[in-house]
Amino acid sequence: MLRYLALEIRRMYRDRRFVFFTIALPVGFYLLWSNIFAKGDVDADTGLDAKTYLLVSMAAFGALGASLTTTGARLAAERQSGWLRQLRVTPLRPWAVIIAKVVASMCLALPAIVLVGVVAAVTQHVHLTVGEWAGMIGAMWLGTLPFAALGTLIGSLVGPDAAQPLTMACYLLLAILGGMWMSVSLLPKTLRHVAHWTPSNRFADLGWSIVAGHTPPASDVLVLAGWSVVLGTLATVAYRRATVRS
Amino acid sequence: MNAITFTGVSKSYGAVRAVEALDLEIAAGQAVALLGPNGAGKSTSINMLLGLIRPTAGTVGVFGQAPDAAVRAGWIGAMPQDGALVPGLTVREVVEFVRSLYPEPMPLDEVLSLANLTSLAKRRADQLSGGQAQRVRFAIAVAGAPRLLVLDEPTAAMDVESRRSFWASMRAYAAGGRTILFATHYLEEADENADRVVVISRGQVVADGTAQEIKSAAGGRTVRFTIGDRPTAGLDTLPGVTGMEVRGGSVRLRTTDPDATVQALYTSGVEVRDLEVKGADLEEAFLSLTGDN
Repeated sequence: MLRYLALEIRRMYRDRRFVFFTIALPVGFYLLWSNIFAKGDVDADTGLDAKTYLLVSMAAFGALGASLTTTGARLAAERQSGWLRQLRVTPLRPWAVIIAKVVASMCLALPAIVLVGVVAAVTQHVHLTVGEWAGMIGAMWLGTLPFAALGTLIGSLVGPDAAQPLTMACYLLLAILGGMWMSVSLLPKTLRHVAHWTPSNRFADLGWSIVAGHTPPASDVLVLAGWSVVLGTLATVAYRRATVRS
Repeated sequence: MNAITFTGVSKSYGAVRAVEALDLEIAAGQAVALLGPNGAGKSTSINMLLGLIRPTAGTVGVFGQAPDAAVRAGWIGAMPQDGALVPGLTVREVVEFVRSLYPEPMPLDEVLSLANLTSLAKRRADQLSGGQAQRVRFAIAVAGAPRLLVLDEPTAAMDVESRRSFWASMRAYAAGGRTILFATHYLEEADENADRVVVISRGQVVADGTAQEIKSAAGGRTVRFTIGDRPTAGLDTLPGVTGMEVRGGSVRLRTTDPDATVQALYTSGVEVRDLEVKGADLEEAFLSLTGDN
């Protein structure tokens, strides 16, 4: 399985344009937003200033994008082309394929998070302690797990034509409900309730708590873990169904 | 032990029966062709053998194990019908990766030379021609040195030259005592590359034997010659002859044993010219067996 993982990562990074856009998008948006919002603005819920708040938002946005776009459409295309059927008749186990896909996509989410952090520190002079940096990056990296699982689920369920728009829809919806574009407090009340249970909202909250110097609430971790287990299981089942016809 | 056993295997898709009560045993070390027209149930049978499709009824065994277990153990190498290569990897990387999945793979250089890929090893697998890509897929199938090699219409997208070199590679692999099952609807391929031909039609075995046996079972070959205006009486009783047709000064004998017929013809003293044993009339044999005529 490690070899399959290495192969997946190598293939992903060979697609240079794709890697560039996946990482450049959140960095670009961070620069844009952090220059638009007045530097002194303070978020009411977290007590963070705009540049620090946006660091987490855009790191989350980048990680979300990386984990969704590296999984859904690619998996769907590989399924349709027959490559995954070819793998299915080798000793490589189906669950190992799913795990490798998930971990590989997390390996593209990591540079997205780190780079937004570097840009925030260099251009906006965001100051965090070493522990906060490490905690934020580590927690947010692990927190991409449910999104990578969601991507593999999409890729196992639908064909390449549908996977692309479906991935984008999930991407935007999760970003909005996650409060990555604007604070969730600006959303209508019902949506605010829904947002509270989305993995993306808890994911961003994980980062905001850490950079605000708090220990993240256990409920964040539980909600994210719950989504990971549910989506991961569904993805594995869907993948098996997609490659073995009963 | 048998390499492959199908015991009462059926597969239905709704009301359509793709495979019906299929019984088949293939001994280890045989090269067997699964011959049949499109839609005969070849691919369905092969996919059940690979564990990609579950049978509706009956059991499939590979070296005494269920297909899934045999795949997991690395006993099977396969070239399914639809199988593109992934972008972003070189030929060598793909083959090396597949080797790493099997417990006792074939040495890399050996795989590449067997599949005629040594000079293409550094090329990106997604930038190859159709025939070259098929060779890579063959390399993927043999990379793990599997005991059973399963090929589903492997030469479908190949030109004549690629086809010839492909079968040479396949025979080289088979020479190691491995079991090979390939599906084809090309009659010559079955004839030239298999020890045994299993003809299936509408999901059932309709003939099973050597290519020679299949041909004679279906009415054999034709011996043709010119006899002019000499008498033809007695020719239809020559050994092996099952039918005679005289047109102008030319005689056409259908025979199950052309060797014996021709020998008897010459020893009978009848003066004949332009003798011709019409080679494998496989197309006819095939059609008469599968009843699709």
